[in-house]
Amino acid sequence: MVIMAADRQAVSLGLGTGMKLADARARVPDLLAFDHQPLADADLLSRLAEACERYTPMVAVEPPHALILDITGAAHLHGDEERLAQDAEDRLDAAGYNARWALAGTADAALALARHGLKEGAEAQLPVAALAMDAKTHQSLERAGLYRIGDLAERPRANLAARFGMELTLRLDRILGLEDRPIDPLRRIGNIVTERRFAEPLTHIDAALACLSELFAEAAERLNERGQGARMIRMMLFRCDGDVARLGLETGAPTRDAPLFQRLLRERIAALNDELNPGFGYDLIRLSIVASEVLAPQQLRLEGGEDRRGDEVALVSQLSTRLGRDRVQKFAPADSHIPEQGLLALPALNAPPPVPWKRQSPDNPPMRPLHMFDPPQRVQVIAEVPDGPPYRFTWRRKSHQVMRYEGPERIASEWWQRKDGQQPGKGGLTRDYYRVEDARGRRYWLFRHGLYGEEKANPDWYVHGLFA
Amino acid sequence: MNNIDSDSGQALEPSPDNPSAVPPAIPAKPSVLRARLARILAASGVRTSEDDGAPSHFGFGVERIDAALRGNAKADGLPRAALHELHAENRDDRTSAAAMALLMAQRCRNLDQEARPVLWISESGEARRQGRLYPPGLAELGIDPDSILHVDAPDAIAALRAAADGVRSSAMAAVIIELAGKKPKGLDLTATRRLSLSAQKSGTLSLILRSGSDPDNPLPTAAFSRWSVAAAPSLALEANAPGHPAFDINLLRHRSGLYGLNARLEWNRDDQVFREQQGAPDTGAVPALAAVRTDHQGTRAA
Repeated sequence: MVIMAADRQAVSLGLGTGMKLADARARVPDLLAFDHQPLADADLLSRLAEACERYTPMVAVEPPHALILDITGAAHLHGDEERLAQDAEDRLDAAGYNARWALAGTADAALALARHGLKEGAEAQLPVAALAMDAKTHQSLERAGLYRIGDLAERPRANLAARFGMELTLRLDRILGLEDRPIDPLRRIGNIVTERRFAEPLTHIDAALACLSELFAEAAERLNERGQGARMIRMMLFRCDGDVARLGLETGAPTRDAPLFQRLLRERIAALNDELNPGFGYDLIRLSIVASEVLAPQQLRLEGGEDRRGDEVALVSQLSTRLGRDRVQKFAPADSHIPEQGLLALPALNAPPPVPWKRQSPDNPPMRPLHMFDPPQRVQVIAEVPDGPPYRFTWRRKSHQVMRYEGPERIASEWWQRKDGQQPGKGGLTRDYYRVEDARGRRYWLFRHGLYGEEKANPDWYVHGLFA
Repeated sequence: MNNIDSDSGQALEPSPDNPSAVPPAIPAKPSVLRARLARILAASGVRTSEDDGAPSHFGFGVERIDAALRGNAKADGLPRAALHELHAENRDDRTSAAAMALLMAQRCRNLDQEARPVLWISESGEARRQGRLYPPGLAELGIDPDSILHVDAPDAIAALRAAADGVRSSAMAAVIIELAGKKPKGLDLTATRRLSLSAQKSGTLSLILRSGSDPDNPLPTAAFSRWSVAAAPSLALEANAPGHPAFDINLLRHRSGLYGLNARLEWNRDDQVFREQQGAPDTGAVPALAAVRTDHQGTRAA
């Protein structure tokens, strides 16, 4: 058995990696040895990588012991590069890890420098072992009198390549910063894209739709692996003459349901302004899942019963696809006391969780109308006194005699929204609302716009809503 | 293979010498299991979700009317799984008719164990001209605005199609479709027949709300019942304030041949029930006694 890793204390006693365990035991009889667990190490390393996402979203794991952070454009947040690296070292140190770091223009240069304990700009001093080729190559390089990277850098590449292969010159260039390689960051979960290419273009629309359904089924399988469902799907149909048809779908809840997708797709195509025209045929069809959300598998009820929540979501998705997302709405209260601004009609596709509405005091008749006019409609009012309740009003060329009324309910304007703030008579007009009932039993919500005498000499009247 | 053999084989057949043997095991298909479970549950009186005990009829909560609506059905009131038509008696009664439709849907919704939304479909042009639904006003009537799924259809055809989808899915407690004008495009016997059949199948209450129609000479439809709704003077509250919402309803047509059923109803938000308006209809200038707020009667200003 061989020592794979040793802690600081063990190193200070002269033990190190690669030593046989029996030899180490002979030197230090009370040595504590644990089994090597590569998986646990990898797990730890990926957790450290996640922790390093505080510095940059581009963190790649370089097994067995290294992390590569692409701090391009992220260094200024910590002052400069040195300070960022120092901060990382301090944090790792505080957590009990022994970290070595180096900054360099390319990932390979930084790795080589860090492994050999050098700093930026010292690439030439690296031993040839930094190339991480096999031991034989390192040996023959040293035999040729080339001990350092600096020695190699001066040689003509062609000769080196002829003797040791292209691999060596490639690695050399990477360490010297002449060439870069992309890193493989941890969070690379991108959009799911599935596509089909056709040697013979599809000229039939049904075939294209069948192909889209197949592509969605493929995408759904991959979504299933991630435990997600699609919220937004984008499809592109490339015609061989260069025309591209784009289709988008949105669902009310994450889904992997192929029949639902087909239904929505049909709706979407039926709602198109200009029909899909395959023309000379589609030679590439691509489907991408643009937005997805967690969708855990659900247990069906054994005794049957319908999945009503799912039905509702399917209905909302279907109607939104056909009519447009803004036409299928849920209501939400808004924070304003101005009646027409006290509500929001949000698309039901991504409506927020319900917020409680204002509670009514029991035993009161409705104080707010069921139907509202926005903007309010002008009425002619005859009142006994200019600042009193209406006596008779004319709306839509019909005269209504007020039999009962209640009011006024005074609603001030939002003067704090104005530039000048509250100044008497300048902060917008106050409304005096009256609930009135005419002789036929219809109930109206009227208001006088502006206080008589103070805000306006001759205030106008409006009908703002109708009560049941 | 072994599994299937042992399931359908003779080993588990009840033998004559063992009369109390368990019934033969059936290949475990979910549908078969469900059927068995339903039988067991029915025998033990447990309510399942498939038949969640929700009544098949709903009423106004006024005994006289509900009993009269019984017809030759098994229960009082109107059937839920059907299409009903509500006409605003006059164009100005549109708000009252809308409120009546929403309140009928609400009464129906209250029968359910699990809360389902109400689909409200209206034409956007009509809503712009004649006023749109105002959620705080819904809340004032005792209807949770969150329970409304509002569809703003561009025209009558789109509204009818949306209604057909809504009625077909069983996700909605009720579907209300508002159509204006004497003869809305697409509203014919076929369309209403389709809605009515879907409603019977899914058990969703479907209401067609008509304003600006001619209730005396309506379009032929396949609705189960047809009502005309008008606003009625309310019973005044203290200081002659307008009172609780009041409606004049009139049954124009009913599948079982009922006709001419009138009532003046008042909505009681706190109990979520209608009641017949007490006292003489008051249309004069003299305020009636406040029958609603009994606690104010003594102090009411004349």
